[in-house]
Amino acid sequence: MSIPTDLVNRYPWLPSLKLQYSDIADKVPSEFISDLFSKNDSKQTSERVLLIFETAFNNLEDIPNPKDENLSIQVYILLKILVYALNNKLITNRIANLYSKNAYRKMERDNSESDLYNICLDLKLRVNFYDPPIQYGNKMLKDTREKQATNFTIYYIDYLKLASNLRDEYRKLAHNSLQNGYVYIQNRNLMRLIQEYVRNKILIKETEDKASLKSFLDKAFKIQEFKELHDHILSIWAKKEEDFDFTFKLDLTSKTDIMKLYPPCVLEILKKAKEGQNLVHHERLFIVWFLLALGYPVENVVDIFATLPDFDRDKTIYQVEYAKKKKYTPYQCSTLQSISLCKKEKYKDKLCLEGYGSFEPSEKKKLKHPLFYVQIKQYRDEYLKKKEDKKLERVNQ
Amino acid sequence: MSNYTYLRRLFQAYYQEKQFEFPKVSSFDLREFGLIPWEKKVYMKRHMSFDNPDVLRSYLITDAPRHLYSSGSLYLKPDAPDMNKKEYQGCDFIIDIDVDHFYTPCKDQHDLWICKECGNDGTGIPQTCPNCKSSKFTKVSWVCDQCLDAAKNEITKLISNFLIPDFGIDEKKMKIAFSGHRGYHLKIESEDIRKLNSEERREIVDYVSGKNINFEILGLNERFNGIYGLLEENIGWSQKIMKKIIEVLNKPTKQIEALLLDKNHFGFNSSVVTSFLKYKNDFLELITKGERNVWAIEGFGLTNWKKLLKGIVALIGIELDEPVSIDIHRLIRYPGSLHGKTGFKVQELELNELDDFNPLDESNEKLDPIVFKSKKNLTYKLEIVENKLPITTIKGESFGPYDKGDKIDVPHHFAVFLLCKEVAKTI
Repeated sequence: MSIPTDLVNRYPWLPSLKLQYSDIADKVPSEFISDLFSKNDSKQTSERVLLIFETAFNNLEDIPNPKDENLSIQVYILLKILVYALNNKLITNRIANLYSKNAYRKMERDNSESDLYNICLDLKLRVNFYDPPIQYGNKMLKDTREKQATNFTIYYIDYLKLASNLRDEYRKLAHNSLQNGYVYIQNRNLMRLIQEYVRNKILIKETEDKASLKSFLDKAFKIQEFKELHDHILSIWAKKEEDFDFTFKLDLTSKTDIMKLYPPCVLEILKKAKEGQNLVHHERLFIVWFLLALGYPVENVVDIFATLPDFDRDKTIYQVEYAKKKKYTPYQCSTLQSISLCKKEKYKDKLCLEGYGSFEPSEKKKLKHPLFYVQIKQYRDEYLKKKEDKKLERVNQ
Repeated sequence: MSNYTYLRRLFQAYYQEKQFEFPKVSSFDLREFGLIPWEKKVYMKRHMSFDNPDVLRSYLITDAPRHLYSSGSLYLKPDAPDMNKKEYQGCDFIIDIDVDHFYTPCKDQHDLWICKECGNDGTGIPQTCPNCKSSKFTKVSWVCDQCLDAAKNEITKLISNFLIPDFGIDEKKMKIAFSGHRGYHLKIESEDIRKLNSEERREIVDYVSGKNINFEILGLNERFNGIYGLLEENIGWSQKIMKKIIEVLNKPTKQIEALLLDKNHFGFNSSVVTSFLKYKNDFLELITKGERNVWAIEGFGLTNWKKLLKGIVALIGIELDEPVSIDIHRLIRYPGSLHGKTGFKVQELELNELDDFNPLDESNEKLDPIVFKSKKNLTYKLEIVENKLPITTIKGESFGPYDKGDKIDVPHHFAVFLLCKEVAKTI
């Protein structure tokens, strides 16, 4: 069954792009670029793509609305080609998160159940469509019950394929209504799953096949406009890249590189956030509580989540402020182990693995809390520094 | 002749006799095979494959291993020694229900322990030795009708409460088998399910076991100075929990009291139970007929409600061996093969055969896992080498209890069972 052409124009990441626009979609990338930049509207396409990159590098969540939606197919294909050409994991994640989030917002704005159904069909998601909506329960609102109904149910295999990577407790299968193999799903939640599909479509692994990439770039860079666009994006990234390193301005230990003080469980979460990967519920809670306990300002903590696919600034500010008010204590090591967030083995961290307090292995004490890790590291750094200073003093004398 | 040599010959004879009835698993040539040979040092030989069932049959007749396994996964190169080079194609969904992994009261009678430090022994499995407080034991796990029924009950619950109504899985795609020892396996063979990765399989495991359920997400929360509970009309776990609560509350008060006090179930203290019982009828009326759904029982805050719901989930959820379902490279016992710890056959079952199936006294010969019955009622002389053995009831006849050094004269099938268990030797 074919879907309306208009839908592919609006959502160019749909598989039907290949069927309905095979003249464009089947071209090899270098041929596509060559054709694109020989057209009159290529400047608009370039500007639009550049705007997407700038929006992503400025850590903004909304791509300003395009003036001309007819260019969306060229924009999408050029965007994918550039992501491949740039071959940088951080950029790829950032673009994938931004573009997919905007795809979600577009579906939300268009607010059409029939479009949503057609999108699912095109993605080969096994869904049932109900009009009028089908009831699957109630919600208690003080003294009254509000009907819970939806237009859609989705086959549990397709649900799991898209939802299990979202790591959100609400999307856990056991927390949803499942019957006869189908999960009852609200329209917005279905859109969120589709967002994940779009994100995965843009996420291509950093290529290890450097020879193919080089051969592609050799061809593509012969087209001056493409090379200029590519280099321009790289130059913006060079200026912005350091903003994405988690070097907080807070002077916690004076002149010490704060990242060196973090335990591996924290480093792992920061690394994932930096790459724009989804974080599980416990990871989100732990990193918020940990950084707040160290005295980080709310806005710095919120910024860590800005790269995540489901980031919503207002909601995050509310949640971080709430956590600050409640003064939650970060998980201790035993809890982190039980919820698989302890990364001492992965990072082969000596302090976590061996303990502290003595040179004698049998007399060492086990580390019990990640905040204590920071304290010990801080103490050791200062001790070593003092020793170093004394040495220097002696040499100078 | 050593016990191993004798048992291996018996197994060889069995495979020879049954070679034309030996089952064939689907996608046979894409499965990895593994086995444990009859040797003192236990190790598994993996990364084997057989082009067709005839090759496997002749291998079994010649080698007759102690245990035989095949993979739930399909590979283009099942015999490649490196997992990454096997060219993985997908994996069936495997559920292993084994009474080893959950509590049954009968274990307190028939499972034995011997302290490795002081030699003290007893039944049931304590945390530490009551004599020397050591936690190192030698364990002898046994079988009885009661624990095998508990395992069967779990597999029945799994199919009729989860796999069919919730997941809509066609019973033709389910392969059920008695494991030959203390449990059952269920394999779901469908192209769709084979594509799931471990993370996605974990979601199914959590769903059927009820592990990691967050009651707040299901609707339990404190608002407007009241505790709002779950609703029966909400399809999914909410509905399951509410139905079970109603079922429990409709039991006689004495039974409810015992259940709530039981440390292996809810583990409430007596004052909480007294308060709950006092209001139980009001609560029952509220959840069945009430509109407001504010759960108000004296002494019951959010913590106690969560404890109650956790206990209810434990009654509903399936006791399965989680890693088996999540791991896509596991091997499971091959149907029709013999279990080297019992001498019983791994018996495949249709869903409609499950209800009447009684592994220790099966009347349908085709389904009987006890394959070493002597046609001439011959008996075998053995000497017990384990400290103590509990009463064993097999084929309607009870044997034991026995002590170390006892010389016994028992029917062939029971003798094979004791020899496989390595608790007796031939004399």
